[in-house]
Amino acid sequence: MKYERMPNTLRVIYSAFRMAMLYWMADPQWIIPNVIAPFVFTTVALTLFNAYGGSSGPFGLYAVLGGGMMGMWGNTIYSSGFAISFEKWQGTLEEVMAAPSKFIHVIAGRSISNALFGLTNMVAVFIVGIFVFKISLGISDPVLFTISLLLTLFSVSALGLIFASAFVLSRSAQTLTNGLETPLYIISGSMFPIALLPFWSHPFAYILGPTWGIDAIRLTTSQQYASQTFWAGMGTSSALFLDLTVMILITAAYVAIATVLFKMVETRARTMGTLVEA
Amino acid sequence: MGSNFMSELGSQGASSSGKAIVAEHLCKIFEITKGMVRRKKSQVIALKDVSFEVDYGELFGLVGPNGAGKTTTIKILTTMLIPTSGRAAVLGYDSQKDVTRIREKIGIVLGGERGLYTRVSAVDNLRYFADLYGVPRNIQDKRIKELLEFMGLSDKAHSRVETYSKGMKQRLHLARGLINDPEIIFLDEPTVGLDPEIAIETRSMIKGLVEKGKTILLTTHYMFEADVLCKRVAIIRNGDVVALDTPSGLKKYVMETSVVEVEGFGITEKEVARFREMKDIISVSADLGENKQVLKIQTPKGSEIISEVQEVLKDSHIYDIKIKEPTLEDAYLKLVAT
Repeated sequence: MKYERMPNTLRVIYSAFRMAMLYWMADPQWIIPNVIAPFVFTTVALTLFNAYGGSSGPFGLYAVLGGGMMGMWGNTIYSSGFAISFEKWQGTLEEVMAAPSKFIHVIAGRSISNALFGLTNMVAVFIVGIFVFKISLGISDPVLFTISLLLTLFSVSALGLIFASAFVLSRSAQTLTNGLETPLYIISGSMFPIALLPFWSHPFAYILGPTWGIDAIRLTTSQQYASQTFWAGMGTSSALFLDLTVMILITAAYVAIATVLFKMVETRARTMGTLVEA
Repeated sequence: MGSNFMSELGSQGASSSGKAIVAEHLCKIFEITKGMVRRKKSQVIALKDVSFEVDYGELFGLVGPNGAGKTTTIKILTTMLIPTSGRAAVLGYDSQKDVTRIREKIGIVLGGERGLYTRVSAVDNLRYFADLYGVPRNIQDKRIKELLEFMGLSDKAHSRVETYSKGMKQRLHLARGLINDPEIIFLDEPTVGLDPEIAIETRSMIKGLVEKGKTILLTTHYMFEADVLCKRVAIIRNGDVVALDTPSGLKKYVMETSVVEVEGFGITEKEVARFREMKDIISVSADLGENKQVLKIQTPKGSEIISEVQEVLKDSHIYDIKIKEPTLEDAYLKLVAT
């Protein structure tokens, strides 16, 4: 779509996305959380998997995709909140919120850029898995793999928006996201199959969009995985379709919740004057 | 700025009727909660009762000491804060109900070096805010070019803002505030912390905008700035408007007084305190520099007070004593002190 013809909402999201990308490029410290950390994490995980049954087959797949998801996940959850703290540090939060555009669209653009940047560490993780541990990912359908990955990226970004709303009001919101990053990552089954987790955690897993996203991604990479999915017995195509449908519905719910939350916190910030807190 | 942009500016605002800004009995009380377990609530009254109106094309000044309520007032008028009570209207729109309509038509420039994306260029900053204000791309290119020319930033348009001087950043702030070609511009202490030369330059730019028909609400700490620029000035103290008039009208509050300006060396807070205790002294402002100290003593006694001044400062070196006509600053000091 040509920039001139974009609806205003998309233009604001794109503009915020572009500004975030310009900043990422201007500040290469993103290499540490985006490339080095997942690289180390995956190496450790694959070494452990190797020691307990070999890095081939589904274990290797879990480690590689899990490491990649970790990057995307962590980057989005952390950075969506950071996007607002960043505006506060720059002193631009008031200017941005005083503009007629909806603030949620600005943060959505930043959130998507963060998730996309998170993909860079997925690439780093794939390189470790493929070249160092000789894991064959065997992507059976590259198109569906890409679609699943991109939809997961949007789902993670939408979840990031919900967390971001807390940052409009409070400096201590960082504690919330720091504390939730790892539990959410584990519960979503990014690294271990949900079946291995305690039963009580399953409802939490099923309300997380990325749970279905990682399920869909695995289905596009391994035929063997069809028997382990939530939709076992339905066939790979049907399971993939259901995974993506559920994820889209959950993502839409996240966006709706985030929209309501942003409206609430903006009104609260305008009443309490909490925007000025840096 | 290019002639096209200036003519575009001139066509705005003046044709509308009524008042550009109306503030009616604005009150703002902030609730503050402290403690995690035993939560203690307290209240801070930022505005008690602030009322004023601003005409289209007027440069209106809001002055007052720190914490008087200037910024709170601006934030209510720019829809960034909801008043506890009272009503604010900008361009005829209600500041609580018509938030988007007001935001589309106003520009805000908050003082200081912050408020810009420093790791990207001026063009990137302006383009970003142009998008947030919904300025169409075909207009954006032209306007950004003209604004950068007007602000004298064309040569560094593509350099990172972090390489800019304070003055350049302030000019970029102004450019950003004009990116949507606003009908009203809110300037919150636009010259604070600037070198005198750059402050003069900024003031001349502000004057230029008024000459082209823009309505401006300016807050400042500098009385001479308000005197030079503003058609009318409201003095706020502790959340109340204590006076509202033209600068010459405000000076009438101190017409019967004169100001004794003393320059010297060795003058300390002790002497300043003694002056403040003296009868017939309305106000004392002191600039106690390391190499030179300047006192401005407002008094109805005029030159008769000189002998008393010399007595208080007998242990200091007096370089010069002048009797001056009262200024807006003197009026301000009197109004804020009483």
